[in-house]
This record gives sequence, structure tokens and C-alpha cells, in this order.
Amino acid sequence: MGRGRALLQYCATRLALAPIMLWLIASMVFLLLRIAPGDPVDAVLGTRANELARSALRAKLGLNQPLIKQYLDFIKDLSHGDLGEALVNQEPVRNIIQKALPASLELGITALIVAALIGIAVGFSGVSRAGSKTDLAGRLYGISTYALPPFWAAMLVQLLFAVILGWLPVGGRFPPSLLQPNGTGFLLLDSLVSGNWSALQGTIRHLFLPSITLGILLSGIFSRALRMNLSRILEADYIEASRSRGIKESQILLKHALPNALLPVLTIAGITIASLIGGALLIEVTFSWPGIAMRLQEAIAQRDYPVVQGIVVVVASLVVVVSVIVDILVATIDPRIRY
Amino acid sequence: MPRSGLRNRINLATSIAALCLFISQASCKPNRNDNRIVVASAGKITSLDPAQANTFHTLQLISALGDTLYKIDVNGELKPNLAKDIPKISENGLTISIPLREDVLFHDGTRFNSLAMAFSLKRFMRIGTLSYIIGGRISSIETPEPYLIRLKLSRPSSSIIGLLTSINLTPISPKAYERHTDKFLNRKFIGTGPYQLTTFRSQHQRLTPFPLYWNKSPRNSGIDFISLSNSTSLFGALQSGEIDVLLSNSIDEDQRRSLNKMANEGLIREGAGAAMEIGYITLRSNIYPLNQKIVREALLHSLDREQISERVSYGLREPLRAIVPPSLSHKSNSPWPTYDPQTAKKLMQEAGYCETKKLTLPLTYRSNVPADKLLALTWKAQIKRDLSDCLNLKLDGVESTTIYRQLGEGAFQAVILDWRGAYPDPEAYLSPLLSCNKSKEMVCEEGEAAISGSFWTTPFMEREIRLSDELRGPNRKKKLNEIEQSAAKGAAYLPVWLVKPRAWAQNHLAKPEFNGSGQLLLESLRQIK
Repeated sequence: MGRGRALLQYCATRLALAPIMLWLIASMVFLLLRIAPGDPVDAVLGTRANELARSALRAKLGLNQPLIKQYLDFIKDLSHGDLGEALVNQEPVRNIIQKALPASLELGITALIVAALIGIAVGFSGVSRAGSKTDLAGRLYGISTYALPPFWAAMLVQLLFAVILGWLPVGGRFPPSLLQPNGTGFLLLDSLVSGNWSALQGTIRHLFLPSITLGILLSGIFSRALRMNLSRILEADYIEASRSRGIKESQILLKHALPNALLPVLTIAGITIASLIGGALLIEVTFSWPGIAMRLQEAIAQRDYPVVQGIVVVVASLVVVVSVIVDILVATIDPRIRY
Repeated sequence: MPRSGLRNRINLATSIAALCLFISQASCKPNRNDNRIVVASAGKITSLDPAQANTFHTLQLISALGDTLYKIDVNGELKPNLAKDIPKISENGLTISIPLREDVLFHDGTRFNSLAMAFSLKRFMRIGTLSYIIGGRISSIETPEPYLIRLKLSRPSSSIIGLLTSINLTPISPKAYERHTDKFLNRKFIGTGPYQLTTFRSQHQRLTPFPLYWNKSPRNSGIDFISLSNSTSLFGALQSGEIDVLLSNSIDEDQRRSLNKMANEGLIREGAGAAMEIGYITLRSNIYPLNQKIVREALLHSLDREQISERVSYGLREPLRAIVPPSLSHKSNSPWPTYDPQTAKKLMQEAGYCETKKLTLPLTYRSNVPADKLLALTWKAQIKRDLSDCLNLKLDGVESTTIYRQLGEGAFQAVILDWRGAYPDPEAYLSPLLSCNKSKEMVCEEGEAAISGSFWTTPFMEREIRLSDELRGPNRKKKLNEIEQSAAKGAAYLPVWLVKPRAWAQNHLAKPEFNGSGQLLLESLRQIK
């Protein structure tokens, strides 16, 4: 079988299996939520509602139906792309996700760019001067950022740049004094498209601290992965052969070693993107970033079953899609990979 | 120094300088309209429908967008607001007639009248998630005249007047809500208040003064109401000047103290409202060991509230020995006993503990409420100090959602909770803790006392609560005091502290003011020179 055909078959299989995987995930979330103690009625009525009011609301929300009927209704609606309505305020779950997901993606993408830039720079500079102080500092940086608790780092950054220096906002996604541009929900893009420069500036100011913090925290993984792979590749036979042919060291590093070393980094980037789709909870909570992770956390606390189910299913779908895309990318770049 | 090393250092210095330049440029704050005021609080607002609102910050916001029929002033007196006069109650107490103001417009330009008021009340009774607070007291609503509304009651009820100050009963425009008579309208609010809503996002709501407001216009050009997710962010935002006013809900005790200290030093301004939130411990009275009244009494004497207040809240939470906030009961004495470790020990000995037997009592606290944990730890330490040979507290932190779900199932021997009445009346505190529909001797099997986890009642408790609601004036006050005394003797609840709502403002603003129901008066916030 040709390589292209094998790849196509692999992707088709992955995508064909996706609905089964999503069904399993959705079923597990449905079941686990109902097993967990707590009642969505409490979130809506408060704790003091009498049993009559509670039963009436339970009936209105369909929570008095047998569990199997609730489950079958949920799966039926899901198969039609209907994620239902939030129990707490009857807002369609689709709308909730549409509002929260762009915030998480915007933060995740920016943080990933920061992480990749810093990670590659640190990893590359370490290998190019192996054993030097720069290398040592880079390795120390990689371990430290990897080990730092995100909430602690975020609070520290918040305290320094927002509270003490007052340079940047403490939290939120957009300045309260301005009107948020309408559009895709990606505020950077919406501000640019509408040509609203003060909105763009406000968005950047709010995005700066969370994305830099998250980017720095993620960069350690990139720098370590790059350094490790680059060191291994620099000892490979084809590199030795290049050296013996008199090719310059910088050219060997940039043209022959780096592209190969970046392949595992691409895989790591894929995994990181997949995890960031679900939001970076601690960063979102610390910086009051209205992303999908924070929304999920609120929904779990309120036992808002449709919101939790909807978010999990959508995030899982996106993770499947992203991982397939990364696989295709890696296979396209690296001819050695077979499926 | 080798040239490459020097070049590296120059590169590094240039990079750092470029980064600093970028941050400083990015940090250029956009111009703010100085007359607008940014007020911050914790927690998102998911719905602005008064039939649905039940969180502190949502009620706070609706209080600025709408008016109630009556309001409680800073002295705790009932004052007509959208009502023209105090309500007229028929001799049998079954009809309440309320004359309405004739000069009030909704934000959509339609006129406020008895039909609009009846629409709002009926809608709340039909779909309101808190409609149980009316508890079947209103049997029908009549509109005999355009500016007169008549409530027919199923039984005489004095507390209904207090209920009419509830923000959940804020009138809304029938025209704006005609498509939402049976469902919630989450992202809009069309009321009669001093402000109209111009932007609604779950983290940001923009309020603009309503130019046709019937009463005094707001003293600012508008409010931006924002929510941040945690106490540290809120505290930092006030310190950095990013926000103008900070509301105290969800602010950690250490930060409350720092803010209080800053206010005392003149760095910011602090305002406090009437204390409407009580913190208390529920003791499950229908099962061993707390079915022994003497053990519960011992626990009542073991709590050093003054020390707890000092240790947990640096004195900002007032020690409380009643379940009705003093501002509502207007009484001088406190029904619950004071801290007395000797009596506590004596009572434990009488119960057969201390010498050979030591009681281990599980105390549950809400793990997501820091003050509860501190209270549990402090009380445990007090008991270890005073009653170490008789009693030991075993602490157990449980997420609040789980606690509320399992409270009525009798899952907790002793649990720390708080309560804020839905309207400013003693009934809104006594009923939710003591009311009981079905009882067997001193055990409540069905009703509020069971839902609240104490399962404690007396054979006459429900009748007494009903009777108190039918009485008026000093007789009612006397009856309410008797009910509270009875609850204190029953020893199934341990009131601990009273929480005042607070707000902190930057120095360029006047001191924040509150109304008698504990809501910050957003319209009174103003810049000062």
C-alpha cells in the first residue's frame, strides 16, 4: 500500500472511531455527574427551597424522569447536535460554549506561540553551546518552569506587574471602560477587523500577563524536548558525515539537525494544543479569564449537567480533530513514519 | 572579555530593554471616562431576571436597575418607594391595599401602574425560583384602580410587608417581558430604577443613568459592574487603582483586614451596611450523641465567640448570640448563653462524659469557604484547651454543594453554615430554621427544620410561628422573641457571628453608603475633589 493511501486510511479510521469515542466519553460524563453528590436544583433554588418547589423544578427540568430516559434523550439530542440548555438559566449550551471557547483558544494559541518561541530559543542556545553557562541556565530554566505550580507563578506575576507596578490589568479579558467589539469572539481578531485600536490595545493589555505566564510555564517542555533531541541528533552519523565534508557547524545545526529535532517538538505542541483547548484552569481562575475551563468549573460546582456534558463533548471532539491534524502534519513532514 | 561574550551580553541587554519597552507601551492605560465608576465583585452574573436572582451580586445589580414597592432605610424603617403610602391592612388582616406612585416610567418608556405590578408579582409566583418565600400567603392579586393594587391573603401575615421589600419582587415592564411571561429573560432588565442596563456580559454590566427616573438622579455618570473570579484579583485591582469600588462578598478575611486597615489609615474609604448574614452551626438533634440536649447545651457554652471573631476575622465579624440579626429584632438581650467552659464541663460530666468517656464529635465545614475552616479550627482548639478530657472535635471539610444536598438527609452531626434572609424581617430567619410541617415530639420529620439539618422542633413551634405572623406591633415582637428564646433553649443551633456587607472605595470617591437591606447604593457613589 502506498504511503499516502495508508495515511488516508489511518485518518479515516481515526475519524470513524471518533463518534464511538465521543459516545463513550459522553456516557461516562453523564453517569459520573449523576453519581456525584449534589443537586442542580440547589444551584437554582438555593438551599432553603421547600420540597414542593424542588419537585416542581425537578419536573420542569426533566430531572424526575428515569435515568435511562434522561440518558436516551441526551444521546438522541446529542446525535442531532443539540447540546441542550443550561439548567441554571436555560441558556443554550451551544451559546455558552461559543462565548467561552474563543477566550480559551485565544489565550492558548498566544501562550503556545510564546512557549514555542522561548522554548526553541532556550533549547537551541543550550545545545549550540553545550556545557556552557548558557546551557546550564537553559536546563535550569526548563526544569524550573516545568516544576513551578501555575497558580503560584500566576499570582506572583499578577502581584508584580498588576498590583505593585500597576502596568497591566489584574484580570479579565477586556477593559470595562470600552465596548467589546462584536464578531467571532476572538477579541484580537475582532478588534483588528473592526479597526478599533483602543479595543486592540485593551485586549493586548489583558492578554499579556496570562499568555506570557502560561507561555513561560509551557516553554520548559519545549526547551527540554528540543535540547534532548538536538543533542541526540548532533551525535548521529549523518551529522558526522556532514562535518567531515567541511560543512559549517551553524549550517549543520540549522539546516540538517534542527528540522529533525523539531519533529518531536511538533508532537508535543499537538498534545499541548489538545490540552489547551480544554482551557488552562488555574491560569483562567487566577486571571479571571472567562474561558471554557472556568465555565466548566462553574458548571461542575452548580451540577449543571447539560453544560458540563456539552463542554466535555465539544472539547473531546476538538481534541480528536487536533490530534488527527498533528498526525497528518508529522507524517507529511517525516517520510520515515509509517501507518 | 572575549568579543563573543561581550556581544552576547549586549544582545541580552538589548532584548531585556526591548521587552521592557514593549511592556511599558502595552501598559499605557486606555483613557477612562472619569465620571463612570467601576465597581467589582466576585462571581459571574448569569441571569438578571428578578424571578431567578438569588446571589448577592445579582441582587445588588438589580437593586440599581429596579425599585421595590417599599424599602428599608438606614434606620431599619419601612419607607414607601414605588408605593405612595404605607399599606392599608384590612381588619381581618386578609387584604392589603397598596397605593402606587403615578409618576414612574419603565426604562422602555411604558408607565408603571397596578397592572404592571400585578404582572410582575404573578410572574414571580408562577416561575420565580424563590416563589416559595411567598409560601402560598398571597391567594389573589387585584387591580381595582390604575394606581392601586390589592393583595388577598390566604391567612393574615405581618411579614408580607417585609417581603414587599424583596428585590425578587421588583416590578418589570409587561411590554418588555411579554414574550417571557413563563420563561426567564437573562440578559436584559427593564425596570424602573435609577439606572438602565446598556451592556450585559456575564463578567461586565454597564449601567447608565435613566434620564426619566422619578426620584433623585444618580450622582455619577454610570457604573461599570465587573466580576473577577477570586479574592486576590479583587484586592489587587483595588490596590492598583484598576477598579474604584470593591464589594466585600468573597473577599478573604486577611484581605478584608488589610482593606479595613487601609481605610483606617485613610488610604481608601470603607462603608458598611446593616448586617443581614448570620453564621451558625447546626447540631443534628435526632440522633446520638446530640439527641442528648445536655450535650448540645454544653456545646453552646463551649464556644468563645469573641476569640473566634478575633482569630478568624480580626474582629470584623461581630459575635452573635441570636438567630435574628439584632437590627431586625430590635432587642437588647441575646437569647443564647455566653462562653462558660466551667458550665460546659459540668454539663458534659452530667451527660456521663469526661471521667472515663470522651465524646468525639464530627464537625463538618464547607471546604470552599475559608472562614468556615478557620472557625472549625479555632473552636477545635478552644475545646482542646477547655474540655480536652470530655470532648474532641473531628473536622471534616466537604464541598458546599454536597453539604446542601445531604443536609436534609441528616448526613452531618454538626455543620457550619450561613444564612441571609430573602427579605428583612425576623420571619425570614426564624421560619427557614424552625418551621416544621410534620413532627413527632421534639423531632421534626418534614419541613424547614429537617431541611436545615437540625431536625429539632417543639410540638407548638409551627403554630407559634404562624401566630407570630398574624400578630402585629409589640405583640408580634414579643412572640418572635419567645420563639427565639425557645430555639435557644432547644440548643440545636449555635449562632456564631454576624457579617456586615462592606464596600471599599478609592479616596477620590465619597464613602460608600448602604440601604437598610444591606445593598450598596450605587446611585450615591460619587467623585469628590
